[in-house]
Amino acid sequence: MENQAPPPLQPPQLPRPTRFALEAMPAGKSPLLVIEALLKFPGRIIYELQNNWRADLSGWLLALALFGMAAYGVVVGSFSGGAQMWIAPAKLALGTLFSVLICLPSLYIFAGLAGIDIRLRTVIGVLFAAVALSALLLIGFAPVAWIFSQSTDSIPFMGGLHLILWVIAIGFGLRLIGAMGRLLAGSTGGQMKLWNLIFILVCLQMTTTLRPIIGTADRFLPGEKKFFLTHWFETLRKAGDSKGTQENKGPN
Amino acid sequence: MIERVKALLRGDAGRLANWLAAPDLRSVAGCLIIILIGSGLYGFTLGLWRAPLQSLYTAVKFPALIFLTCGGNALLNGMLAQILGVGLSFKQTSLAILMSFAIAAIILGGFSPITLFIWYNAPPLASEDAALGHSLMLFAHVCAIAFAGVMANRRLLDLLRRVGGDSRTALVVLLSWLAGNLFLGAQLAWNLRPFIGHPSLAVQFLRDDPLRGNFYEHVWHAIQKVFF
Repeated sequence: MENQAPPPLQPPQLPRPTRFALEAMPAGKSPLLVIEALLKFPGRIIYELQNNWRADLSGWLLALALFGMAAYGVVVGSFSGGAQMWIAPAKLALGTLFSVLICLPSLYIFAGLAGIDIRLRTVIGVLFAAVALSALLLIGFAPVAWIFSQSTDSIPFMGGLHLILWVIAIGFGLRLIGAMGRLLAGSTGGQMKLWNLIFILVCLQMTTTLRPIIGTADRFLPGEKKFFLTHWFETLRKAGDSKGTQENKGPN
Repeated sequence: MIERVKALLRGDAGRLANWLAAPDLRSVAGCLIIILIGSGLYGFTLGLWRAPLQSLYTAVKFPALIFLTCGGNALLNGMLAQILGVGLSFKQTSLAILMSFAIAAIILGGFSPITLFIWYNAPPLASEDAALGHSLMLFAHVCAIAFAGVMANRRLLDLLRRVGGDSRTALVVLLSWLAGNLFLGAQLAWNLRPFIGHPSLAVQFLRDDPLRGNFYEHVWHAIQKVFF
């Protein structure tokens, strides 16, 4: 009797994502559904905010953003330990909130300039969603950041690492705002890109305004006003001056 | 198990996609066992040149490095898969990455007799040419690990193309996972050192202060020494 070869297995088709389809969210608005929609179907969040606006959705998004930033802040604070374990989360959450509040009016105006017909409450919700998405990603980065924060004494290195991780996270968040323009007006326009730049600059300046976040200080807030680039270069210079004597053991 | 190993090595995207469609404990346990055996065997040959005790340590640490890297980046990789639109859940993402590490572990396990042979022929630690022996072992292991890594990621890319549908998305997701895993993996490898074992340093499971020091700062210092 001849051995018959088994028929080739047909892999089941996994659901194809329709990420930016403007469609309603499924019934129920639990935080888990909101997180799932943020990650997989951001178009649903925008649809809900534009067509079925409810305060609780925006509230969940804001809570998620602040909780995520605070959770990542614990990892940031673990570099210095001690009081920084609560100061860094508080500063990151508050800094995020202040940056959002500062940039919200200009986002509404820039959306109008870009030809997007949108309500203020929708803009508020989408901005919360963008920050919530980046906060979620930062939680994903947290184990990576933690292992480095325990392995180095260099503030510039940790600052650079946190900056890179934040830029990646906020990049995904701002994509959501771009999607809002595409879904509601058909295009994003240069205006929204300009607003993205403004938001990033405000956030970066906020880290200097609320410094120190990674390192320690006697005061909760600094007495001296500084532009963020000046602060970064000064920190790099100080680290370079004090490094000379340190030596690392080689890998083997 | 043998069928599973064959499918992984062939990169049988159809069968792997089937496993991925309904990730169960059996598939995860299968990958974990393969990684434990394959990379454990290879780890044994990795530390053998320095001392038999070092080879035992490395046999434990090499699989641990893989598991810690997978675990540390599981959440991030799951989020990236969803955000970038490949349509895999957290469970599916973790299983896909475990599958690729399992492929690498099978290849490395297969290489272990060869690296054992290289060790047998390399100038031993007690000889005058110990430095040459150390460099030879280092070079052989870098080549073996690089080959296994490349093959595993090629298979993973095929799988992502199959389940994600779109070639570009699959590539972007793979590159994002790869960047995250390499970034964390390099630092964890630094923390878990020694693997081969430096000829002039003691045989140890971990260095005295394993969490002190940073792979990337060390690379930067090395570059500074070379160029400045």
